Order: sequence, then structure tokens, then C-alpha cells
Amino acid sequence: MALATTTALTLTTLSACGGSDSGSDSKSLEMWTFKQSHVGALRAAATEFKKETGISVKVEVYTPDDAYTTKVQSAAKTNGLPDVLEVHSDGEDFVLGAAGVTADLQDQVPDAWSGRFQEAIKGSGTVTPQKFKESQAKDSTFKGVEEGQRFSVPLTAGTFGIVYANKRKLADAGITKAPATWEEFLAAVEATHHKDPKTGGISLGLKVKSTGLTWVLQPLAFAQLGKQAYWDLFGKDKAGDFGSANGTKVLSMYDQLTPYWMPGTQTLSIDEADQAFAQGKSAFAVGGTFTLAFLQQNDMKADDVFAFGLPAPKGGAVPDRALGPLALTGLSLTATSEQPENAKKWMEFLSGTDVAARFAKESADLPATELGADSAKVLGPALTAMIESFDGTGETTYDPSLNDFRPPGYDQDVAGEVLTNLSPLGRETPAQTGAKLRELNSDYWATQ
Amino acid sequence: MTTAPRPTSVGEAGSGGGSCTLPAGAADTAPRPGKRPRRRGPGGEALSGYLFVAPAVVLFAVMGLYTVGYGFLLSFASWNGFTPHWTWVGLDNYADLLWRSPVYAPRVRSAGLNTLWVMIAVPVLTVMVSFPLAVLLNQARRMQGVLRSVFFLPYVTSGIAVFFAWQYILRPDGAVNLLLDGIGLGSLQQPQGWLGNPDTALPTLIVVTVWGAVPVSMLLYLTGLQTIDRSLLEAAQLDGAGWWRTNASVVWPLLRPITAIVVLLNLRDSLQGFQTFLVMTNGGPGDHTNVLGLEAYSLAFLKQLRPTLGLASALGWLLFAAALVLALINLRALRSKT
Repeated sequence: MALATTTALTLTTLSACGGSDSGSDSKSLEMWTFKQSHVGALRAAATEFKKETGISVKVEVYTPDDAYTTKVQSAAKTNGLPDVLEVHSDGEDFVLGAAGVTADLQDQVPDAWSGRFQEAIKGSGTVTPQKFKESQAKDSTFKGVEEGQRFSVPLTAGTFGIVYANKRKLADAGITKAPATWEEFLAAVEATHHKDPKTGGISLGLKVKSTGLTWVLQPLAFAQLGKQAYWDLFGKDKAGDFGSANGTKVLSMYDQLTPYWMPGTQTLSIDEADQAFAQGKSAFAVGGTFTLAFLQQNDMKADDVFAFGLPAPKGGAVPDRALGPLALTGLSLTATSEQPENAKKWMEFLSGTDVAARFAKESADLPATELGADSAKVLGPALTAMIESFDGTGETTYDPSLNDFRPPGYDQDVAGEVLTNLSPLGRETPAQTGAKLRELNSDYWATQ
Repeated sequence: MTTAPRPTSVGEAGSGGGSCTLPAGAADTAPRPGKRPRRRGPGGEALSGYLFVAPAVVLFAVMGLYTVGYGFLLSFASWNGFTPHWTWVGLDNYADLLWRSPVYAPRVRSAGLNTLWVMIAVPVLTVMVSFPLAVLLNQARRMQGVLRSVFFLPYVTSGIAVFFAWQYILRPDGAVNLLLDGIGLGSLQQPQGWLGNPDTALPTLIVVTVWGAVPVSMLLYLTGLQTIDRSLLEAAQLDGAGWWRTNASVVWPLLRPITAIVVLLNLRDSLQGFQTFLVMTNGGPGDHTNVLGLEAYSLAFLKQLRPTLGLASALGWLLFAAALVLALINLRALRSKT
């Protein structure tokens, strides 16, 4: 009998593994995030929320992104999800929504709530006609969503392709202001590298294979070629793809960075590359608006850096190119939450102007909520400077959230591997790299 | 198999005679005068047996059979791990991985080639290091236990933290480059780090893998060495064989079965293992250190929720098939030699 009891207990334990304790207390919520820099700010907000409503929120972090995805994936299979998830906006939220892991918030986010967000991203998390069209593709990761459904509300906004420069190192090389063009940027990198070849270069977490492609090459190519010609790089027509003259040109420009990468940057994760920059092992780092928070965590002050959007080439098609803001992360309500109303209260609470302002100060990240005229005071000069890189029109703004011109199923990591052989490895020429990227694109198109 | 009746329990024996307390264990052997031991029926005995094996059977059924069966079915489907339904694709996943898909097949071929290098180098180097080490350790007169612990340390400490430590050591400003510079071998330094240069990244990972594999192999050899009849070694020495000749002509052939086991274990690990590669390089720089195990993991978990779990499962089954063939070849080789 004892044995049978033991067996039963074993099974009970097994079935309980991975279960969330959310729901056991009707005034207790659980939230997961993948952003270490958000944890402190979210927990501070949770303290305020408890004071106001009596509802406590336990915030847990699982990082980096890949580990978070795996964690969510396994928790979804074992019914152990929390009430609220921080998700990558307009991508991961749709995948989870299509799978029934997160709840559809259509008609549950009234104007009074969505009106608090910045105009450009207030609909983030909603299946637009464009996103619905994308979902119809054979290899779509969110096949099954319906137009109008909403699977997240935005939490943070921002963009990629933000360059950080160490002011002291620039000053040592005789540079006192942020570079305004690609040419000035190259000259500044060359100058710092010349001053100190070991610590004067650029760090970028190229171990994450798509970073060079998405954070540097793409905004650079958009500025050099213009919107349509940039889209054509990924198209079926060989006259304008990566194997064409246009492709070779932009790849050659990207290749100009090759001598100036920080030694070993191809072996560093994003955090490690940012850490190297904070430790003075490089003069420049490329990241996003969210990088500043991490730099501050590593004892680098906002005043120590110039932060600016990756500069456009002077003679390019879009010399005043802007970087489009997008909702970077959002909040999703899980379909298994036993307290959906309380969870929505928490999500709405985070979008409040005062709460968002405190979140911005605490996390050094851009909140999705519109902070109004006082935003510069709240955000500080570095974040405010980054916001200036958002100023552009539809034709002059590089929008990293647009993907429909690429072949469906296109894997940025695989393209990133090809690009790495050009720079920093220097194993292939721009023309050879262009030919390989052309072949890759053709393969993806062929599988459709 | 015994069919002897099970002894009665203490409680049953002592019923009605409260003053007589048997010492623990005595109840199993002490005769009960005037009372015939009660036999438990064959049904009860069987039930006990079933209950004893139940935890193992349940665990095997859940963690083994169910998982294996689930994975096998998954290899014929397209799924991202979330959607409620699988899309059945039959043998498409296998065909795509092996030859048909222009996206996946070349990656599998490239990873297969890297895996082949690892499968050749790791077992060979492990044997080359662990056998002499075991022979030397076996001859150590003093501190053999301490030395054995020291050499076993890599196995005990193996884990993600160790791989991170290796990463730091192998960086451009890491200990390996500093050491080379310090001993006047600066020309051998790797300015991009040992993992940053595609020419050195895979060999370096092989060395790290061997470093982790040597302790167990060495221990296996050490066990083997201690089972060799000393009279054989003395006979060889009486015949005039020196240290080298004794080890090469007597010890090495006698330990051939252990070599076979060491080779088999390391072949299997090289074929399926990927943790070192995932943590230290993630298959990079570029895809120069991508191996089949890592490709399978990447297809399962690192494709931004694309429906590639079925492909990952199919690749896993292909690896299983390869491991099975290798095991059978090894078994055959063992049988013919011993």
C-alpha cells in the first residue's frame, strides 16, 4: 500500500510540475517577462498596483529571448502559464494568439485605454489586413488568426539600428559630436580605431546571427537605395536583388566596417557585445533604443554616450532617412488565466501616463504610452535624441516591422550567416555574398 | 526462481503475545512453534511485484514510450509546438532534410560534414589521451586517489558554467592568447579569439569536448588496468619486454574491449551532443561549427516559432538511425575480437 501511495504521489508530483500558482489566490497575478531591464520597473509598478487595488502581481524574468520562448512553449504544454506575458509585439503575440495560448482582446481595449499609446503604435497587437494577408502564407507562423483580433497591447516602443558611441573615446580621437552621415560615421570609427586598434572599434552581438543584417545592413541599404529598390533586394527579380549591382553596392558599403569590428565580436551575444562597449573594449556599439537600459545596468551613464540612428550615406536615395518607431514589446493575456479581469486591470494600469513615466525612468526604456510635452524631461537627453531619429515620412522612414516584400518563410538567421562570411570574417567578396544571398532568396521563393 | 512462501510479518506473529518482542530482522528467520506461517496467495504476490515495478514502468511509459512515440509521429508532421493541430506531411520532412529542400538540405549536409569531423576526432583524441593517462596513473605509487580526483574534475564540473568559462579563456584577450604570448609563442595567438576564426573554431570545440570526455574514459581504462592479472605483466617483463613493449603488446590488446566502449560512447556523444556548440558558438561564426544535434535543436526551438518541430524530430530520428548502425557495427567488431 505504501508503494502504491508512493506511486500515486510520484504521479501527482509529475502532473503538478510546471504548474503556475496563479489562480490559487484570487488577488494574486503572475507575469513573465524576458527583459531583465524591465523587472525592477515592473515590480515597482506592481507595488503601486497592490496599493491601489489590493491585487498583487508576481513578476518573473526568464532571459534571454530563446530561453523565454522555450519556457513559454513548455509551460503552454503543461498548463503552467502565468496570467500575463510580455511578448515581442506584432510577431510572437500573433503566434501565441493563433495557437490559442493568449486571449483575443478584440473589443476589450476601449479607446480610453488604446488612446494613451503613441499614435503610430496604438493598434499594435491587432491583426491588420496586411498581417492577415501574411498569415495566409504557407509557412506563416500565425496561420489561423482573423482580421481584427487583438493579441497584445503595447508596453514599450522603440527601434533597432541605434548606434552608441563612447564620448570619451571620440574626444580622445578629436571628435566632439555625433556623426551625421555614414561617411562621418566611418571616419569616426576609423579615427577611434587608429587611436587604439584594440578598443576603438564597433561591437555588435554577431553570435545572434541576424543582428548585422537587421540592425546595420538593412537600414543602410534603405537609405542608400530608397524604399522600392531596398524591397527589390529580397524580390524574385534578379535585376534588383542582392546579386545585382545594387546588392553589390550596399554589401560593399557594409563591408567598409570589416576592419573596425571589435576583435571577436562574431562570438559575442548581444548582451556580451553591449557589456564590452560598457567596459570600454569598443568605441561604438549597435543596438536599439532598449540598449541604453542595459548599458546603465553595466555602470555606463547616459551622459557618457552619444546615441543616434545609424546614419544614412550622403549621396544615397534617402539621405534624411528616419528609423520607424514600432512597438517592441507588448502585454498578452493568457487564455488560461483564471483572473482575466484582474489581469486586464494590471495591463491597463501599466499604460497609465504616470506609471509609464516611472517605468521609463526606472528601466531607461521608451514606454509605448505617449508621455506628452514633458517627455524630454522624463526620458532624459539620450532617449530623447533617439526619438528624434523617428522623424520621417512614409517614404523616408525605414520600418523594420514590414516584412511582406521578403519571401514567406525567410529566415534572417540563415541570411545573417551568409553575411558574416563577408564581414567580419572577410572570407567572401561583396559579389560572392550577393550571389549567395540571391540563391538563398530564390530557394525561399521556390518553396512557396 | 524461488517459490518459497514469504515470511509472516511481525505484527501477525506477535498478535496475542504482547510480551514477546522480536528484534528487528529476527522476524524474518525465527520459527513460530505451533503456528503455521500464513501464505500469501499467488495473486497477492503478483500484486506486490506489480506495485514494486509500477513506478519504473509508469516513468518509462510516460518519459520513454509516450515521448518516443510522440516524437516519431511528429516527424511526419508540420507543427510549431503551439497550434492545436498538426499538419500531416508524410515523409516530406525526411525528404526535405536529405535532398529535396533547397533551404534545409544544404544545411544538413554542411552540419553533417562538421559532425563527421567531430565523430572522427573526438573518439581518437579521447583514446589517445585517456589510455596513456590511465597507464601513468595506475603506476603512481603516491597520491593516486588525489590525482584520480584531479583528472576526474572536468567530468564533475562539466556543465553550462564550464562552457562559459571556456569562452572567456578562448577570447581574443583570454587566457590562452595571454599564455601563448607569455611563453614567446605570440605568433600562434588568435587575434579574433579561438572561437572567432572559422579555421580554429571547430578544432577548439573538439578539444573542449575531448577535455570533457577524458575523465570517464580514463576511469574505464583504469578499471580495466586493475583487472589485468599481474602474472601476465610479470611474464612479459621476464621475457625482456620493457615498459613500452609491455603496454603496447600486452596491456593495449587486453584493453581492446574498453577501447571499443570508449569509442562507442564518444561516437554517440559526438553524433548527438550539441550543448558545447550551442553555448560556445551557436554554430558560428557564420555556420562553421554547426553540427547535426545543434541543427535539430535549432529547428525545434530557435526558429521563431516556425512550424519546424516536425523537421527537428525527423532529424532526430535520422541521428538515432545513424547511432543504431554505429552501435551494431561496434557490437559486431567487439564480438569478432573478444
